[in-house]
Amino acid sequence: MKNTFIAQNPSVLWFLAALGLFTFGVTMLSEVTGVGVISTSFVKTLGKTLCLCLIAIAMDVVWGYCGILSLGHFAFFGIGGYAVGMWLMYARTEGIVLESLTSQTIPPTPQEITDAIGNQIFGVVGSAEFPMIWAFADSLFLQLLMVVLVPGLLALVFGWLAFRSRVTGVYLSILTQAMTLALSLYLFQNDSGLRGNNGLSGLQNIPGFKATPQATISIIFFIASAAALALGYVFFAWVVSGKMGSVVKGIRDNEARVRFLGYHVESYKLFIFTITAIVSGIAGALYYPQAGIINPGEIAPIASIYLAVWVAIGGRGRLYGAVIGAAFVSLMSSWFTGGGAPSIPLGFYTVEWTDWWLVLLGFSFVTVTLFFPKGIGGLFDYLVRKPS
Amino acid sequence: MRPIFFTIGLIFGTLHSAQAQDTGTPFQDILQTHAGEVAKPSRRSVSVVLDDLIAAGLPQTTEFLEEWSARNVWQDIDGTFFIVTSEGDQLGLRDVDSGAESRGDKRDFTQIRPNGGVRRVIGTALVQFQLSDPDLARRETALVSIARKPEAAQLAPLLASIDGEQDAGLKARKVQLANFLSARFADAPEDRIAAIESLSKDTSVEARSVLNQILTVKSGLAKDLPEGNIARVLDPTVAPDAFYQQLIDADLAPIRTPPTVVRAALEANIVEGRVADIPVAQLDTDEARNRAYARLAEAGTVPQLVTNVYRDAALSEHVFYEIYNEENAEITAAAEAALKSVEARVGWAQTADLALDGLSLASIYFLAAIGLAITFGVMGVINMAHGEFIMMGAYTGYVVQLFIPDYTVSIIVALPLAFAITFGAGVTMERLVIRHLYHRPLETLLATFGISIALQQLAKNIFGTQARPLTSPDWLDGALVFSDVIQISYIRIAIFVLALLFLGLILFVLKRTRLGLEVRAVTQNPGMAASMGINPDRINMLTFGLGSGIAGIAGVAIGLYAKVTSEMGADYIVQSFMTVVVGGVGNVWGTLAGASMIGFLQKGIEWLNPSNTLAAQTYMILFIILFIQFRPKGIVALKGRAAAD
Repeated sequence: MKNTFIAQNPSVLWFLAALGLFTFGVTMLSEVTGVGVISTSFVKTLGKTLCLCLIAIAMDVVWGYCGILSLGHFAFFGIGGYAVGMWLMYARTEGIVLESLTSQTIPPTPQEITDAIGNQIFGVVGSAEFPMIWAFADSLFLQLLMVVLVPGLLALVFGWLAFRSRVTGVYLSILTQAMTLALSLYLFQNDSGLRGNNGLSGLQNIPGFKATPQATISIIFFIASAAALALGYVFFAWVVSGKMGSVVKGIRDNEARVRFLGYHVESYKLFIFTITAIVSGIAGALYYPQAGIINPGEIAPIASIYLAVWVAIGGRGRLYGAVIGAAFVSLMSSWFTGGGAPSIPLGFYTVEWTDWWLVLLGFSFVTVTLFFPKGIGGLFDYLVRKPS
Repeated sequence: MRPIFFTIGLIFGTLHSAQAQDTGTPFQDILQTHAGEVAKPSRRSVSVVLDDLIAAGLPQTTEFLEEWSARNVWQDIDGTFFIVTSEGDQLGLRDVDSGAESRGDKRDFTQIRPNGGVRRVIGTALVQFQLSDPDLARRETALVSIARKPEAAQLAPLLASIDGEQDAGLKARKVQLANFLSARFADAPEDRIAAIESLSKDTSVEARSVLNQILTVKSGLAKDLPEGNIARVLDPTVAPDAFYQQLIDADLAPIRTPPTVVRAALEANIVEGRVADIPVAQLDTDEARNRAYARLAEAGTVPQLVTNVYRDAALSEHVFYEIYNEENAEITAAAEAALKSVEARVGWAQTADLALDGLSLASIYFLAAIGLAITFGVMGVINMAHGEFIMMGAYTGYVVQLFIPDYTVSIIVALPLAFAITFGAGVTMERLVIRHLYHRPLETLLATFGISIALQQLAKNIFGTQARPLTSPDWLDGALVFSDVIQISYIRIAIFVLALLFLGLILFVLKRTRLGLEVRAVTQNPGMAASMGINPDRINMLTFGLGSGIAGIAGVAIGLYAKVTSEMGADYIVQSFMTVVVGGVGNVWGTLAGASMIGFLQKGIEWLNPSNTLAAQTYMILFIILFIQFRPKGIVALKGRAAAD
């Protein structure tokens, strides 16, 4: 069985090999081994990029394979980040609070500890009470469960409502966009219980690993992200191959015909929508400890549109295309906006890439859509077909 | 002794004023009669002077009282009073009777300085003069001062002045104020109740404040409920801590012992690692700490522990109440009833105001979305750059104002110019990009999104990140005020009118012109339309240009009341899409219905939770998501073949 799967998808092996090599190389060149060619902050950037690649695969499956242009998958990404961020913030603050309280003459009561933690975390929004949604914040296991459950349930309910009433195409895109907008607007409120527009911060400090240098932590997260990406890739490659994959692609190409063939289209769509939402949540949970901060601005509608942009540039309908698109555009983006790209003096005007990168991206995106609908991944077709 | 002196003074005074007829200085004579009181007035003695002046009823009285109160009256060595018009070494003097101007050496005069209390008495006396003053402006000032600081003494002169009032507006105001005053200060309770009842139809802030003044309460606490006009008895269990604090403030209960105090007391009494024989390490629960504290209290080292149980017991022994400052229960009952009816009226007025707000928000959404409805609804093309066309229109308005300083002219120029520019941009975009993507609607969405972020960044590069003003003409400043509660700013009215104009215009274009006919034909069946000799390419281009042009005009309108930034388009794009989707695609009436629903809904939710517009938007979007489940094709759904994708 496994042999046939690999045989049908030779690209999986190639991808895994390339990813493994890349991970090994980066680890060897990082500050952990003492080589230090790649700085810790760049390792973090690469780790974050891997997480973005993971959500890009999910987006590719839901859009490129199933034809649902979801403009809300970053909401699931953000929920994953918030879920893990709550534990990180709680546990770290608890450590700090306990340290300061034990130095006092009388041992603290449980109530005093909770109050002090609440004060530390929610002082910034003028509160000290723990909201309901923080009920499980002290348990890493439960919060990790949330990373999977909350995006999954949200996608299940939302998808069930939407697919059941046959909302399709552009309408569904706008509806998913409305969903992520509603979520980000909700989180922007101070009384949302997640610190309003301050978001959760200090997530790069992992509780219990205070003595571990950031260089080591960054490499651990980098390898974890790579592993998650590898697993996600294999999983989705398996999902979109075989009979199920054919049905899903059929839905993309002609939903009505698949329905008339007797398949329950809604269930397939719901399954794809939910499973990709869960993977998005996991990607977010790995991303934000590396980013260090999460706030509601991260899940604004524009983020999800960028996600679609990555997949389109990389090439829809092929998993490695999504990975290439996400990695290429997000790395280019941080190169251009981080001042890495040299300015172009034109005599009368100097083109500063920090100002002009979005203009370039916008127009190159139009170009790709118009002239290269297969994206960067389409180039591989030329390479593969040449011998034949 | 005293009465005799007074009698003599009176006789002398009468004699003096009898002589005054001859000297031609009647006013000075009255002053001289009370020279002592005028020069060194006290609150009690001043009324004697005032009574005489009022009785004499001379025309100079108002001016003199004003100047006296303003410390501009000086006295010379002979005791004659003058009004000083200019100070300095040489004083400018004015005769109190004839008004003749003269000058005098400052050293020969002494200034008369009535104190604050006296000035207040003079002021009250002045009011009745001012209320019947021939000068309209003075009468108005007097009314304003009464409205600002109502006092019992003003009631009688105010009532007296009503009949003589010539100006209808002032008369109405006088009646209204007299009503306010009698509600609070009239002598007979029946008069007050009548006045209070007449207030029950008045929704003005003033009337409500009069009623509230009557209903002011002071809170009190006692073992038993005292006699008096009790407003209500309070339930201390609602907020036990706050009520217990009242007991503490009244010295009826010991201070509470909060956990922090317990903790501090324990820390202060650690003996060899133990507090009252309990090891410190065990003090990590509140029970253990209280136990230790109780032992300390028994030993007398600390005051008694006041726990919640103790607090509640103390609270139940006392009764907390609010008592009206007004003693007459009938009056307070009438005021309560009046206030209730006023509040009901205010509630209706607020509903009306809310409806106006909703209407104006709906017109904004309509303006922002109607262009989109044309491109999205008629052509099936999603234009993510629609918001950026709105922004382009707003920036056009801003640039026009840089060149044309007159705001009225600049708006008149900006509206067609914004239309022209965004029409051009829309046509260009249709020719270069959208034409190639008619069969791939999802990709149109992404391509136009690319244009959207590029345009947004371009605007940021050109105009900077800070908000630019788009100033409205003076005649759009201010608001149309129906009452204290219902008002709407002229800008919002203008936007409403603009929205109506566009509704009419678009309906006209679509239903009554050749272009509209062709647009509808292409919408329904492009192939058939083409075979009838219509060029679908040209129609698509013009339709797209029209939709974009309207976005430009909407941008000018939105810029007038919101700031112009490069991100303003993005703020409206999602709402606009939802307006179109909720309303139903391909139908102008649908867009109108969608905009109205979203506008009113958002205002309604904001009203339920006024502190939080973010929450209102969140709930509204959730509502829309649910709404689409039940009407996936919107409020006004197309039927038949045109409804198919």
